[in-house]
Amino acid sequence: MVDSNASSGSPEETPNPNPDGNAPSESDLTLDALARKVQESLSLGKKHKFWETQPVGQFKDLGNASLPEGPIEDPTPLSEVKQEPYNLPSPYEWITCDIDSEEMVNEVYNLLTNNYVEDDENMFRFNYSKEFLRWALNPPGYFRNWHIGVRVKSSKKLVAFITGVPARIRARDHVVNMAEINFLCVHKKLRSKRLAPVMIKEVTRRVHLENIWQAAYTAGVVLPTPISTCQYWHRSLNPKKLIDVGFSRLGARMTMSRTIKLYKLPESTVTPGFRKMELHDVPAVTRLVRNYLSQFVVAPDLDENDVEHWLLPKENVVDSYLVESPETHEITDFCSFYTLPSSILGNQNYSTLKAAYSYYNVTTKTPLLQLMNDALIVAKQKDYDVFNALDVMENESFLKELKFGPGDGKLHYYLYNYRLRQELKPSQLGLVLL
Amino acid sequence: MVEWQQLLQSILLGLIFSYLLAKLISVVVSFKDENLTLTRARSSTDQVRPKSESKGGESRDEPSGDMGAVHDVDSVIAEHGSVRNESPAGSDDDDDDWEGVESTELDEMFSAATAFVAAAAADRLSPQKVSSDVQLQLYGLYKIATEGPCSTPQPSALKMAARAKWQAWQKLGAMPPEAAMEKYIDIVTELYPTWLAGLTLKNKGGDGDAPNNDSKGPMGPVFSTFVHEEESGNDFKMDAIHAFAREGEEDNLLKAIESGVSVNLKDSEGRTPLHWAVDRGHLNMTELLVSRNADVNAKDNEGQTPLHYAAVCEREAIAEYLVKQNADTVVKDNDGNSPCDLCDSNWPWMQHSANK
Repeated sequence: MVDSNASSGSPEETPNPNPDGNAPSESDLTLDALARKVQESLSLGKKHKFWETQPVGQFKDLGNASLPEGPIEDPTPLSEVKQEPYNLPSPYEWITCDIDSEEMVNEVYNLLTNNYVEDDENMFRFNYSKEFLRWALNPPGYFRNWHIGVRVKSSKKLVAFITGVPARIRARDHVVNMAEINFLCVHKKLRSKRLAPVMIKEVTRRVHLENIWQAAYTAGVVLPTPISTCQYWHRSLNPKKLIDVGFSRLGARMTMSRTIKLYKLPESTVTPGFRKMELHDVPAVTRLVRNYLSQFVVAPDLDENDVEHWLLPKENVVDSYLVESPETHEITDFCSFYTLPSSILGNQNYSTLKAAYSYYNVTTKTPLLQLMNDALIVAKQKDYDVFNALDVMENESFLKELKFGPGDGKLHYYLYNYRLRQELKPSQLGLVLL
Repeated sequence: MVEWQQLLQSILLGLIFSYLLAKLISVVVSFKDENLTLTRARSSTDQVRPKSESKGGESRDEPSGDMGAVHDVDSVIAEHGSVRNESPAGSDDDDDDWEGVESTELDEMFSAATAFVAAAAADRLSPQKVSSDVQLQLYGLYKIATEGPCSTPQPSALKMAARAKWQAWQKLGAMPPEAAMEKYIDIVTELYPTWLAGLTLKNKGGDGDAPNNDSKGPMGPVFSTFVHEEESGNDFKMDAIHAFAREGEEDNLLKAIESGVSVNLKDSEGRTPLHWAVDRGHLNMTELLVSRNADVNAKDNEGQTPLHYAAVCEREAIAEYLVKQNADTVVKDNDGNSPCDLCDSNWPWMQHSANK
């Protein structure tokens, strides 16, 4: 079953491996796209000077089925890729960040901790741990010079950062070498200097130099043009703290007492054979995950090295559990989440929000609802405050029932220099970016 | 004689024609040089419109000259909007080791002023004409502020406009950029006394977009929190006294009691004001209610007392107070749980009194 269509030639002639892949909702999607298009032209119409010059799907092409799927631009010969870095304003210079160096990871950590993504009301800011950054930035085959910093020449202070890591991502039947672009961060005091576009161009140039021509990234804002738009959902594990810090609110008619009761979880997991993933599980988990992800239109193509890196548990970074059948000792199910704390800004009692983010989950025997409930239980045991999940893959099937509530955050997924014929439903997307 | 005249005439015509041709060529060339300003040639202040910084040198033909360039008036306004919106949140939490490279207030004020001038030019919202002298002065100051002293060669005499601009820049000599920015802002303020007010107004108008864009950044993950959903109107009913207890409004609560409302009045879920005060963690309100003879062992429709609430919500001080006021620690709710059973924390006075 593993990627049975991978070798067939033309995507148009290949029968869709997933019966509810794209056919039923075509009209829905077109409507959505049109609505978005109108909304775009009203509110954001002129804001994409930069992206309109880039090989990305453009708003004006939405719903134009005559455009072929695949790369938008052909690769240029490597000799024609610009060899020198782009120019920065004169006080600044490019550096390559060696994330293995304790000193450098500290600098990056401090930049992100003080300047990275916040919520709309500026009450929380992501606080990726150093171990997390090492994990996220040094996967198999990573390129050190895709970890790009900008610093002030005179003071050597790091003021901006952007990264790429290599990933094989499958879009329908084509596995494409891509870069996953992430951690774009410009110091708050330099945001008026418009560094972001030149940083994006610079990372693109360095990706091109490795003969890679596609990329995947996400954003909270609408740019040209999302391949899919997903929504965050949240499951309270520590409702009292979440209310106290303003992550969630207590309605006027709701009592704290009842809210706490509502989110109470059993002390221990219920699925027999549920245990932590270990190194010797890598081959079995790889088979399970590959097979599962093959049903989605866009998903990573993970081999054993990737699984060992991305899915083997790492303390306070990524947690993975699986179900080993007590009788056959076969690995039948798998779930995982990564750890992304946030700083709580301006609260006297609490400084950190500990959040688990649903990563890749696979079931063949256990009901997904039950498996995810067990994931919630271990997250609660490990003292997480909230469990977050996107509505990607099959997540929608358990969100409401497991008492996840909708979030105010929309996450838009993008591919650089790769066109899909139509926007995907979140359930057609098998990709989670950190 | 006639031939002389004809000859003279044709020579003159030839001269005039070749002059015009040369002029035409130079105009074409200078248009090519200044293609960025071409599109705005008709607006009254086009000459002071900030142009793309040419630091980008060879990258001029790159798809976008985003570094500091004012390509698009709207986006610049939006950008300044977002920068200004961000400052209250991010202004003072990480200042300690900052080493003098930040964009200062002056920087931001200056770029806001340039954006305003560009916007004024584009929108033609200036009722009064800005004299070309002033335009040139602004241009010179802008160049000093963004690029420093003039070091480019003098344009040819045929390019009148370019030459005038060059002179405006060149005559400012080695003026410091800060001084240039201040002067620029002064002139703008003199021309449009209300420009700053207009800018803040626009920010407010664009509230929906600008802060979002800023907090979410141009790309990367998103920080999401719960959407606040208003509970739908079922048949739940509560009185004012419950709301006063919930919000800790002691004066209002006292007035309600004095006007004859029962201190043990139940809402549609059977909760008394004391349940609400305990639930929200108001110790003072709890003491006030108890001092007004509120029933410490009142049960709601699920059989829970205020002490059940205190135990579930881990309100330690309140629970201790209630126990001292003889609240029952072993009374069972409809699920068969006592406050003691529901208490995850290890409160000795709770266990102790339960064992009695």
